[in-house]
Amino acid sequence: MALDEAAFNQAYRAHAARLRSVAYDVLRDREAAEDAVHSALTRIWSGGSYRADRGALLPFLIACVRREALDTLRGSKRRHLREVKVAADDPVSIDETAAIDPIEARRIRMALDALPDAQRDVITRAYFGHRTLLEVARETDLPLGTVKSRLAAGLRRLHTVLSPGVAPS
Amino acid sequence: MTQHLDDDAELYALGFTEGERSEEIEAHLATCAPCCERVAAAESVAASLAAALPPMPAAAPRRRAWWPQLATAAAVIFAATTALEGNFAQVASNRVQRTDVALTALASTHFAHTTLTSRPGLIVKAIYSRDGAWAYVVASGAPAGAHVVLQQGAAQRDLGALDDGAPATLFIHEPGRGDEYDIVADGKTIAHGKPVY
Repeated sequence: MALDEAAFNQAYRAHAARLRSVAYDVLRDREAAEDAVHSALTRIWSGGSYRADRGALLPFLIACVRREALDTLRGSKRRHLREVKVAADDPVSIDETAAIDPIEARRIRMALDALPDAQRDVITRAYFGHRTLLEVARETDLPLGTVKSRLAAGLRRLHTVLSPGVAPS
Repeated sequence: MTQHLDDDAELYALGFTEGERSEEIEAHLATCAPCCERVAAAESVAASLAAALPPMPAAAPRRRAWWPQLATAAAVIFAATTALEGNFAQVASNRVQRTDVALTALASTHFAHTTLTSRPGLIVKAIYSRDGAWAYVVASGAPAGAHVVLQQGAAQRDLGALDDGAPATLFIHEPGRGDEYDIVADGKTIAHGKPVY
């Protein structure tokens, strides 16, 4: 089922602030972040890539915007943004009080605390620390494949922890 | 491509795949329900992680100036449509000179207002655009640090704290449509009301 225009517009209005924060987190530039959100949404809308079986709309939109922003960052024109950003963001931490959704931020921090150290470390470096997976591998002295598998396993475990009514495995 | 995604489902959800690999994954997702489910699960976690990010900093001053004006205009309309407290109406009327332009703009949009149900001594009004683009909450007698929370289906969003003004106010840019506005202090809901769009 394709997304209808009214639902799309409503979702965008409801979630624009969060989508912009995702893009800004990656790009650290207001204009570039706005562009990334716009490009991602235009791509989704014109391509009809959203279907109901892809899960809830907001996570899908957030993932699309983040991919768009990361693709922008990987482009040569934006490399200077990344150089500034990685240096500025060290060390890695979550500031709940500054989060766009403090209640959800607290829930995610508690869920991260429940992860094995090795998985939490990789997730926080890669997501909140804005490292590429290669950079995480270098920092942690781990093979790239191990970084990938820990990141994926950590995300699966987080899903279990965050899903209501499901006991962590 | 027919092979299932395995760890790439989570890496894709976080944006850590790129180029041709991402295209292969998207092609696979178009035909594979189990991998769609797996990516959707990973994306729901990624959305939770995103909630822990700070908001994008405020816009440049020129663009930013518009919304406080609109908020003030909303306060004026609020005062004009209710006789809540005499002194508040007086404060609001003093602002009219500065807000003619914003009032004109506000009058051309569709908005509504509702008085929240609350305990004695607390009066709260929510003024909101029918399309969910903005909302303005005004509270008289609210405890310091009270937050405005919007219920949206099963989800609830903290829209921020009321300021320490008299009355206390909070302007929300793009709250979206919701089922109920709540005022929450010390973990307790002290006022609630349903918007009608």
